[in-house]
Amino acid sequence: MILYLLKRLAVLVASTAVAGVAVFAFMALLPGDPAEIALGVNATPEAVAALRERFGTDRPPLSQFADWFGGLIQGDFGTSYVTSSPIGPQIGDRLGVTAVLVLGGMVIALLIAVPAGTFAAVHHRNPLGVTISAASQVGIAIPAFLAGILLVFVFAVKAQALPSGGYVPIAEDPRAWLLGLLLPWLSLGLVQGAVLTRYVRSAVLDVMREDYLRTARAKGRGRMGALWRHGLRNASIPVVTVLGLQLATLLVGAVVVERVFVIPGLGDLLLNGVAGRDLLLVQGVVMVLVVAVLLINFVVDVTYAVLDPRLR
Amino acid sequence: MRGRVNAGLIAGAVLVGIVVLAALVSFVWTPHDPTLVDASNKLREPGGGYLLGADKFGRDTFSQLMVGARTTLYVGIVAVGIAALIGTPLGVIAGMTPRGWLAELIMRVNDLVFAFPALLLAVMLGAVYGAGTLTAMIAIGVATVPAFARVARAATMQVMVTDYILAARAAGRRRAAIAVRHVLPNIGSMLIVQASVSFAIAILAEAALSFLGFGTRPPIPSWGRMLQESQELLFSTPRLALWPGLAIALAVLGFNLLGDGLRDYLDPKLRRIRAER
Amino acid sequence: MLSVEGLTVRADAVELVREVSFDIAPGERVGLIGESGSGKSLTALSLMGLLPEGVRASGTARLGERELVGVPEGRLKDLRGREVSMVFQEPMTALNPLMRVGAQVAEVMTLHGRSRAEARARAVELLGRVRLPRPEQLARSYPHQLSGGQRQRVMLAIALANEPGLLICDEPTTALDVTVQKQMLELIAEVAPALLFITHDLAVVAAVCERVLVMYGGRVVESGPIREVFARPRHRYTEGLLAASKLTPRGTRLPTIKGSVPAAGRFPDGCVFRNRCPYASEKCQTEPALTGDGHAYACWHPAD
Repeated sequence: MILYLLKRLAVLVASTAVAGVAVFAFMALLPGDPAEIALGVNATPEAVAALRERFGTDRPPLSQFADWFGGLIQGDFGTSYVTSSPIGPQIGDRLGVTAVLVLGGMVIALLIAVPAGTFAAVHHRNPLGVTISAASQVGIAIPAFLAGILLVFVFAVKAQALPSGGYVPIAEDPRAWLLGLLLPWLSLGLVQGAVLTRYVRSAVLDVMREDYLRTARAKGRGRMGALWRHGLRNASIPVVTVLGLQLATLLVGAVVVERVFVIPGLGDLLLNGVAGRDLLLVQGVVMVLVVAVLLINFVVDVTYAVLDPRLR
Repeated sequence: MRGRVNAGLIAGAVLVGIVVLAALVSFVWTPHDPTLVDASNKLREPGGGYLLGADKFGRDTFSQLMVGARTTLYVGIVAVGIAALIGTPLGVIAGMTPRGWLAELIMRVNDLVFAFPALLLAVMLGAVYGAGTLTAMIAIGVATVPAFARVARAATMQVMVTDYILAARAAGRRRAAIAVRHVLPNIGSMLIVQASVSFAIAILAEAALSFLGFGTRPPIPSWGRMLQESQELLFSTPRLALWPGLAIALAVLGFNLLGDGLRDYLDPKLRRIRAER
Repeated sequence: MLSVEGLTVRADAVELVREVSFDIAPGERVGLIGESGSGKSLTALSLMGLLPEGVRASGTARLGERELVGVPEGRLKDLRGREVSMVFQEPMTALNPLMRVGAQVAEVMTLHGRSRAEARARAVELLGRVRLPRPEQLARSYPHQLSGGQRQRVMLAIALANEPGLLICDEPTTALDVTVQKQMLELIAEVAPALLFITHDLAVVAAVCERVLVMYGGRVVESGPIREVFARPRHRYTEGLLAASKLTPRGTRLPTIKGSVPAAGRFPDGCVFRNRCPYASEKCQTEPALTGDGHAYACWHPAD
């Protein structure tokens, strides 16, 4: 168990390092000199050189990378070339918003997918089960931002019951915070719920064919009792894998949904950074998102070990 | 042994067929010029030669949808092509020597690429080279490589233990020959299924990117951008969001159904290897 | 003890088991032999109420005072694991991989009303009774840490936990190594209350059972005390089966039954064996009844 965890941890650390190199190398390709861009066309060469020195962009790439990555490890994302403000705190603020958005979406997805998928598997021969499968197929075909637009149309435009966008911090007004997040959560949750439903269904179907379920019934459990006691935990193993992948997808989906609902999260920050050519900011946000995905994978691996004694 | 043609397969084929047909016809004919800005037709209601009405610039929605189908298929074909061309050989190599260092390396890199979703790649590429159809296609393609490699690897590993491969290996055939003559033809059906599923995801990604302004640039019509442009008019003219939204959903549904249906039809035995989403 | 009358199993219109009748006395060990597709496993599963979806049983099967066939699942599940238990063929997949072995044994007891603590203690005792080494330690392990033979013993412990009146074993040793098989068979013969033992292996049946039922095409074609049936088979199918299993001197061909077992629903009417039987005649188009006292057979042209 400990060996397994250490191995996974090593993979996480190594992947993060390689991802750091990749992101840095990629962004270093960016044409244009940040100092020149910051000062505009009419800047004197001396001023540009001075600024370059301040940014550190006059030094060799390797030492720039070491600085950047070393800073990252300590939570220092550097100072924006464009706005001259530190990047770390900005990312910190936005990360919380995006995390709440993604986790809320995931909870809704699970609340939909686990009962619906299990039901569809148990009743895979009757019309209602087939209907659920078909509905999930349709749900998958709808991108999160389209779901968002549809939800806005129904709940904000027609029913006028919920705000069509905007974000109120929870500290300011918890009620407005909740109401504002409901539609974004639903946009992410409904779509991911549909995807997940299919996986839950097929995982439960697979488990239902397992011999140990027959053993459980031979012990005197009913069909549902056997599935509940012996099936769901076994079925959860493949579902956890997908859940990990889904969380990563949700993170990306959140970027788009933030745009639909005008929510100041990481996605919003990233897109603003690109628009403003804020290289270091983009680099930082991309890195945070990638590390988040890697961390999710790590958590999935740990969850496996907890769920499955064969891995310990 | 082939499975039977199921309803999903037919429905999927029909939906995909409609998208392909619309795209092909758009080369020779559209009701109106989809890029023609005409203030006199601003937000024109459906009817009178404008089947689905016109947008805020007076452009015909139906014509835009037709050319948008072209954009969608173009991005999908190139992206899936990139993913298949890179992912398949990597997956086959990893699957033929599952314990070798090369396989280990391939799968590790694969996992790492998996951490970079299409959207992030596209945003990064867009930041460097300027966003456009090309960067979107490359980003989606590269991000889809891991899915192809995984499926190719899993299918190859299954094929490698079959009698005819064992016979070929016993006969001393070279690995490359085995890969080309025996493995590829036998994992082909899985790859076709994967291509169909990946196509659906590529459509979703392209739509999202265009929606964010990182995809196809104006004036070339794209379903995702039509949606983005319609958002501010959602209160007054919701139909502008309805049609491109429906187009995206039906196209994605079509490719997904086609993929699932093909899997059941082509190779019922291999159903256990799921296409990666 | 167990009394089966006219048991018929159907999947839609296809008859998979037809009019099977037999009795098992308390303490008696009865073998049910036949090739795959003969309906022997379905016969067993219908006694457990565990037939696959879409497959139905009719007829009667009485265990003591209780009816086993055509009873609602709610009542049947109270009998399973308490009055009648079953050990399956494949030990590698029959146990839940995520649950400790001891807990899986204890579960069958808590399900039928024992307290948790009592069940746990008795689980260890049972693991010892099926001759697993160091039962306390073993109870805490997971199935993947056990060998196939050990897992099958765990299955046996589960089956015996509530002291059922009848134990059904479906090819319990087929998946095991030959060396492990013998110990397992001895153990089953020793601990079983009344036993219904399903196998395709004649030697195994001879080692464990006192009486044997021979099934072919969903019917019992011959039944009787094992010595009699094996020494003097009357049905031509049994005769062929025994001949095929005999060791022959090197160089001579193993006598086999011609043709292969038809698919379900493709057996001929009349005598189900007639399309493969060298003695078949016109008469065999009528279904022969299972007749005879003690040693019974359903054949128009019996061997003598």
